[in-house]
Amino acid sequence: MSKTPLIQIRNLHANAGETPILRGLTLELFPGEVHAIMGPNGSGKSTLSNVLVGRPGYEVTGGEVLFRGKNLLEMDAETRAREGIFLAFQYPVEIPGVANNYFLRTAVNAIRSHRGQPRLDAIDFLTLLREKMKLVEMPEEMMARAINEGFSGGEKKRNEILQMLLLDPSFCILDETDSGLDIDALRIVSNGVNQMRSPDRAMLVITHYQRLLDYIVPDRVHVLSKGRIARSGGKELALELEEKGYGWIEDEAGGAS
Amino acid sequence: MSTAIDSLVRLRERFAKDGPGWLVAKRDEALAAFLEAGLPTRRLEAWKSTNLAPLAALEFARIAPTGVATIDAKLAASLPAGVRVRSLAEVLRTEPDRLAGRLGRLADPKKSALVALQTACLEDGVVVELDAGVCLAEPIRIRFHSSPDVYDRPSAAFPRLLVVAGEGSEATIFEDFDSAGAARRAAPGFTNHVAELLLASGARIELVQVQAEPAPRVHFTSVHAEVERGAHFASHVVTLGSGLLRSELDVRLLAAGAETVMNGFFLGQDAAHVDHFTTVDHAAAHCTSAQEYRGVLADRSKGVFRGRVIVRPGAQKTDARQSNPNLLLSDEAAIDTRPQLEIYADDVRASHGSTIGQLDADALFFLRARGIGESEARVLLTRAFAQTIVDAIRDPELRGEIGARVERALAGLESVSADRSGAGGAAPAPEKGGRR
Repeated sequence: MSKTPLIQIRNLHANAGETPILRGLTLELFPGEVHAIMGPNGSGKSTLSNVLVGRPGYEVTGGEVLFRGKNLLEMDAETRAREGIFLAFQYPVEIPGVANNYFLRTAVNAIRSHRGQPRLDAIDFLTLLREKMKLVEMPEEMMARAINEGFSGGEKKRNEILQMLLLDPSFCILDETDSGLDIDALRIVSNGVNQMRSPDRAMLVITHYQRLLDYIVPDRVHVLSKGRIARSGGKELALELEEKGYGWIEDEAGGAS
Repeated sequence: MSTAIDSLVRLRERFAKDGPGWLVAKRDEALAAFLEAGLPTRRLEAWKSTNLAPLAALEFARIAPTGVATIDAKLAASLPAGVRVRSLAEVLRTEPDRLAGRLGRLADPKKSALVALQTACLEDGVVVELDAGVCLAEPIRIRFHSSPDVYDRPSAAFPRLLVVAGEGSEATIFEDFDSAGAARRAAPGFTNHVAELLLASGARIELVQVQAEPAPRVHFTSVHAEVERGAHFASHVVTLGSGLLRSELDVRLLAAGAETVMNGFFLGQDAAHVDHFTTVDHAAAHCTSAQEYRGVLADRSKGVFRGRVIVRPGAQKTDARQSNPNLLLSDEAAIDTRPQLEIYADDVRASHGSTIGQLDADALFFLRARGIGESEARVLLTRAFAQTIVDAIRDPELRGEIGARVERALAGLESVSADRSGAGGAAPAPEKGGRR
């Protein structure tokens, strides 16, 4: 494992709209690591993922984020993606009129250009696409359809993972990717994620439930409460949370806010 | 009387007495109706948002013979039995009475001054006749191009289309109003096109129209269709020109099971003025109309959409849907959208909605979060907005061709890719209504 962190989040404060949500969050991930972030609703899980990818409507009010030593917060959303940050959205958007395959090729080529790699032509892209689609068990006919249009909840999440496989990011954030999935879809999605685990890549798995972590086993588990990390531990912390709920940690963290 | 009217009345004398007696009488009646009404002004309710003053001021040097309409030669040579695609002039010459009672049956000069003018100046056009049960796989392509010499001095063209579709016949007709390389030296001019389509029971006709004439040419199209029992009429109107345009569509659903799809995509650029006025008349019970016009307005362009839906007394179980979403790409662009529902039956499903907005902020962010640059993402979403209309074209070859033209037109817009502050957060202002 490399000694420099891939991403360093230091004392991050951020608002969603006008409301302060993150209140001094500090977190580091090294290449090869998978961390899980758990926490009750409103603890700041989604704000963290949105801030990291530069979504409009979120304002950083303090702290810093370094991605491979570069100031991430200065980059626009497309630059962050090209630099290797990927968020699998909790609620993937439907875009009627844009074919999935066309979108994917445009995105892959935007990222390849940024990395100084040659653009893929339609044939080469199709070969790559077919290979990745197999991993998430997506039928080919879904590629000609508009982005997520008419997709079931599980299909949308599989499409997110497909994008992750194609764009080859170095830091992946999965925002409640397990929500709304049945057990089969959960297995497929987790397989896709596990395919991506590598010594060069880090992942942040945000989830409300321990269930996902049976499939994607984390190196570290953090509990988010009131906008900061209230407790960190190994994968057994997730089991403890499952058993005891979040109350005891919130009580512990309560005095600090 | 305006300069334009004077010059046109003089020019039409060249052919006003040509053709069979019924046609000469029709032209004269139409001229009388036109002279009485004059060119429409904004004092008329139906013309409130569109100013024809630039047209009134023109002095026309000629009326272009409508020989400029070309029919796809390959197709004409291989037409199956039971399909006839001919020039109007030829039909009038060889079978003078064949079109009596059909030509002008729907387009009433007394109801519209510009239809009256078209009829008064009617000389040529295209006649499509489909015998009962004939299905044509290939689209019938008709190009009305204003040849460069036409552009030297103001000219007017009055092409006409008549489609007579027998019971259960099927065809796609493509009318292309193009500028055939004349854009560089465009001079003022006027195209006034009237189309009439008579669909017998069970006929399925798809009419695809592209209007891409450049400013300063003025374009007027008036399409009239009557749809009999179980027949299906689909209209796709794609407007990409840069001048002053008025496009009217008037569909009458006459008997149970008649259906119409009325689709439109319009792009306003530069100082274009793009006015679409549709009317669907549910004259019988159990008929369906689905209408969607989508507008993209850039630069200083102005769009107008007026959609009248009439449900006659007794037209129960009517299903009438109308929608008009619009994208404004510039602060100087504008859209005036007004649905107009006139419902006189009580067991009816009718809905209408219009929206005016910018690109969807979530979709834009999603694309950027996948590494696609903001300007490219904007182009992609604007194209997607148009694509849903293009996708509804049934003929795959035309669909591809028109999709490519729309794409080219949108790619040429600077304001599509421009970063507009505030576009990220502003939500469309919906204005929805409906009744059951």
